[in-house]
Amino acid sequence: MSIFHSMNTSASALTSQRLRMDVASSNIANANSTRATLNENGEWEPYRRKMVVFQPVENNFQNFLHKAAQQGSSGSGVEATQIREDEEPFKVVFNPNHPDAGEDGYVQVPNVDPLQEMVDMMSATRSYEANVTSVNASKSMLMKALEIGR
Amino acid sequence: MKLFSDTFTTLENALNYSSAKNRAISNNIANVDTPGYKAKDVAFKDVLAQERSSFQTKRTNERHFQFGPDTSESYRTFTKSNTTYNHNGNNVDIDKEMNELAQNQIQYQALVDRMSGKFRSLESVIKGGN
Repeated sequence: MSIFHSMNTSASALTSQRLRMDVASSNIANANSTRATLNENGEWEPYRRKMVVFQPVENNFQNFLHKAAQQGSSGSGVEATQIREDEEPFKVVFNPNHPDAGEDGYVQVPNVDPLQEMVDMMSATRSYEANVTSVNASKSMLMKALEIGR
Repeated sequence: MKLFSDTFTTLENALNYSSAKNRAISNNIANVDTPGYKAKDVAFKDVLAQERSSFQTKRTNERHFQFGPDTSESYRTFTKSNTTYNHNGNNVDIDKEMNELAQNQIQYQALVDRMSGKFRSLESVIKGGN
């Protein structure tokens, strides 16, 4: 097992949390985008909220070997396996002057809740900070190990 | 008399345990937002007093890798599977993990200090106190 194992573990989490932040930013930026995708009828559809799916990295050879030996392993971090779209229905707003308003005067707007995205962003920030602390701890332990016998 | 006394072996075991614990804590913190993830912890084998498993592999050569519980490592990683802390099945307690991270770091540094102290006293003996 590499001596940098724990740093790589934390690094994978930093990447994942940054991706989460990117997705949340994209959701907020597109909170009013009514023309995001063309559906099969050739009509514009509003932007759909996106979510990141996280999974622990456990499907590698090393982990299976440890499992077979009933030793248990400490795992090797986290990865974002997919970005899924929120299937919640679009919100409907009455605004007859809007260019995308239907004949009844209602506009479909994205299913993004800015409040939810803000909470998600806060959570990503905190997790990112925790992982930075973890990287620093591992780093100082490695630096200390270099002092053995000095 | 042995030049490198048992203290070195003990310190080495403790250092190995400490770095394994660091790996587990890093992984727990990394997975703090992963649904269904269960926290992992490391414990010394004799402290854990777990039933030894009967899993044993047959080796035709002593240089072959050995499976099973009889490895030279004095610690063992296990998953805390019986608790749920969060609404999504995740049981990582971030406060606890950060606390253990700090504790483990200090423990590691203390162990390295002791190791260096051992080497220094050996050096002192070799040089006859000069």
